[in-house]
Amino acid sequence: MTIFAGTAGPGCTISNLVTSEAKVSGLCTAKGSLSIPVEYRSIAPVLILGVAALVLLVLSATLPKRRYPGLWAGLTALAGIATTVDGIVQWANLDNPANTALTVGGQVLYDHFSAFFAILFGCATTLGAAISDSYLSREALDGPEPYVLMLACSAGAVLMAEAAGLITLFLGLEVLSISLYTMTAYHRRRAASGEAGLKYFILGSFSSAVFIYGAALVYGATGSTQYFEIFQFLTGTVVVHDGVLLAGMALLVAGLGFKVAAVPFHFWAPDVYQGAPTPFVGYMAAVAKAAGFAGLLRALMLALPTQVSSWRPAIWVLAVASVLVGSVMALVQADLKRLLAYSSISQAGYVLIGLQAGTQAGWSAASFYLFTYLFMVVGTFAVVGLTQGRGEVRNDLGSIRGLGQRNPWLAGGMLVLLLAQAGVPLTSGFLGKWLVISAVIGKGQYELALIGMVGAAIAAFAYLRVALLMYVPAAPTPARPGQPRGEGGGEPAVAPTGPGAPSGLAEVAGDLEALATAGLGATATAVALRAPSTARLRVPRATAAAIAVCVAFTVFAGVSTPVLSLAHSIGLTWSL
Amino acid sequence: MTVPGPWYLVLAACLFGIGGAGVLVRRNILVMYMCIELMLNGVNLTFVTFSRMLDDLGGQASVFFVLVVAAAEVVVGLGIIVAIYRRRTGATADDVSSLKG
Amino acid sequence: MDQYLPLLLIFALGLVFAVGSFAASRMLGPRPRLNPAKLGPFESGIAPRREPPARFPVRFYLVAMIFIIFDIEIVFLYPLAVMFNQLGLFGLVEMASFALVVFVAFAYLVSEGALDWGPGKRAGSRSGAPVTRSVSATVRRVSRPGAPTPQASPWAARGGEAAAAAGGPAASPASAAPKARVVG
Repeated sequence: MTIFAGTAGPGCTISNLVTSEAKVSGLCTAKGSLSIPVEYRSIAPVLILGVAALVLLVLSATLPKRRYPGLWAGLTALAGIATTVDGIVQWANLDNPANTALTVGGQVLYDHFSAFFAILFGCATTLGAAISDSYLSREALDGPEPYVLMLACSAGAVLMAEAAGLITLFLGLEVLSISLYTMTAYHRRRAASGEAGLKYFILGSFSSAVFIYGAALVYGATGSTQYFEIFQFLTGTVVVHDGVLLAGMALLVAGLGFKVAAVPFHFWAPDVYQGAPTPFVGYMAAVAKAAGFAGLLRALMLALPTQVSSWRPAIWVLAVASVLVGSVMALVQADLKRLLAYSSISQAGYVLIGLQAGTQAGWSAASFYLFTYLFMVVGTFAVVGLTQGRGEVRNDLGSIRGLGQRNPWLAGGMLVLLLAQAGVPLTSGFLGKWLVISAVIGKGQYELALIGMVGAAIAAFAYLRVALLMYVPAAPTPARPGQPRGEGGGEPAVAPTGPGAPSGLAEVAGDLEALATAGLGATATAVALRAPSTARLRVPRATAAAIAVCVAFTVFAGVSTPVLSLAHSIGLTWSL
Repeated sequence: MTVPGPWYLVLAACLFGIGGAGVLVRRNILVMYMCIELMLNGVNLTFVTFSRMLDDLGGQASVFFVLVVAAAEVVVGLGIIVAIYRRRTGATADDVSSLKG
Repeated sequence: MDQYLPLLLIFALGLVFAVGSFAASRMLGPRPRLNPAKLGPFESGIAPRREPPARFPVRFYLVAMIFIIFDIEIVFLYPLAVMFNQLGLFGLVEMASFALVVFVAFAYLVSEGALDWGPGKRAGSRSGAPVTRSVSATVRRVSRPGAPTPQASPWAARGGEAAAAAGGPAASPASAAPKARVVG
């Protein structure tokens, strides 16, 4: 019994995908002795992360109960680095095309795509651990648990990226989601955190149920849950009554759409982002999105490419709605974390645009986008976690006001990250948006490209507002926004030292204020102008290093091509 | 007399629909958990029915995973409720129904 | 007949385990002296007319959760049992490593004190939440004519500790006026 015969389409020979014995098909086989070859090399990233989680649990159970500053975060970061290195080794190993294979009983795909995402999630784990440590000790929440959850979450994410079937994808999805529910609710003393966790849990498990029902319907329509078997069935058969298949696909897309917070399945995101502990939000925004999209890309491109005319319109609608709703809603938020939540919704829209193209260019553009977005979002939330103060007392826009004075370096880094998310040239964000839009232009979908650009322009306002607020002097000014030019601005108590801050010019300060709050409602304006303390903001070492890495990568990936060529070669293994 | 397969599918769809409606409509968190369980059991029934109709064991094996995941999900959900409770004074789950999930 | 021997063995093992559990809890556990007054519900001295609504303390959920996890993990033993001969040593090793993972979770639970029972101890030491209402904090044991002294009961002693630790109103001896109790 072979999994596959022949080719899957131009440029994609399947012969090297079939496992050595070609005996294993799905979950069950014929009678007789059964030896399942487990290629540990292909699942090494999952094993590293999973075993690291278990080691942390054992250590926490056996070590005497006291505080170990930095131990748990250090071990987690180590596991993340090991995963990244392993991903790179896998990548090098896969440069020999003969190594690309369907492994572990046909459940895992070992190819450039999975290696790429192993690198991505390894980086996410390392950065996540680095920015969480100082936050957790500030909030007196430190312990091994959040790091165990983070490692488990990353393991699930890697599993999603390398799944070769809907059931494995579901398992990865659940490992990821369940860890994230708990991480969201982790702040024991903040009521918003528990409430957000509960909300995320209910809606998340609802969406998981929707997803798995979709998988069941696809199974019923095609006779398998394995991508290649579904593909083989659909190429070999003309489906006349495809109602069950269509419903299954719709439910699959809806279920994963929830996870990546695509409009109209986005309504949990702002509440959860607002309530969850800030560094976890950065990690979650990066990992959950990347994993969800990895699963969606695999399922749509490998299992259902023949039905492209059915799913492309649905993805089109999701993409357009996400870009526009995310951008517009980000404009009117007075809460920084909510603003970033809507911005992440709009960023998900761009990945969907790349996915919608359904081509190799779109595929690699989406992967590149996800990889670079990881660094932007983790860095941004790390800064927000620093400015909000102990107990997350200030999450509003005003909390970032005067950051240029309080810590010019931090403000500079944040500025780069915000500009990258807005898509300003010379940053990775620009390159990602450009790749995505050129992918759809390559398909001749100019209207979608136009919508993408309009959305980027709208979202840029939201990012620039935050950027401007950072350079409005932190000292309270009597000026109200919208006042005529020349009257606004009191004397700043501390002379601004930030690179962009005009020193001592009250007039310019007032103008900045007016500009930064343009278009906000009265309440939101008042909130945005509530100045925090003017004391210098100290940045813990690990967090500073993580932010520096994020900023450096964002610039590096924006001006040079290694990451780009990495993303480009993902598409080489598979094509439609 | 045997019940034809599609009937099971319809029953499963009904279970899933009732569960889904319950999650969206009900305000008691425990009832919402139960509704999620109902949805997942609808999925299980669908898997088993298709497995029988297609004469393929893969669907039945999938049910194992769905079952385990469902249990893990509920445990985490209860854990979150307990965590919320530690912050409040009160002893039963009736009191969190005001959160409007 | 020979092939039923394992079945019989399993049955015997099950019986031993069940009887052993009961016997162990009888021998090792504290032995409250029960009488109708103790078993009856306490409703401010008024005999209850109907069944009270079932309100479980949240702590019970913790036990339920732990149970569900270990209960469901066993599900995977069934496919293993079906395929055991075909899988051979490989299956056994894989299942052993799976069991190890579950055991690590169990070790963590024990170290976190999730299985520490008894009122007051957990509530006082870990969560910091005030014990405003619990059986031990609100129920006061009073002597009844003809009954043994309440101090003899281990429940009473522990209840007193918890009430003192909680510092609630019930802890002050002045409020511990003898209450009449009607057993319905």
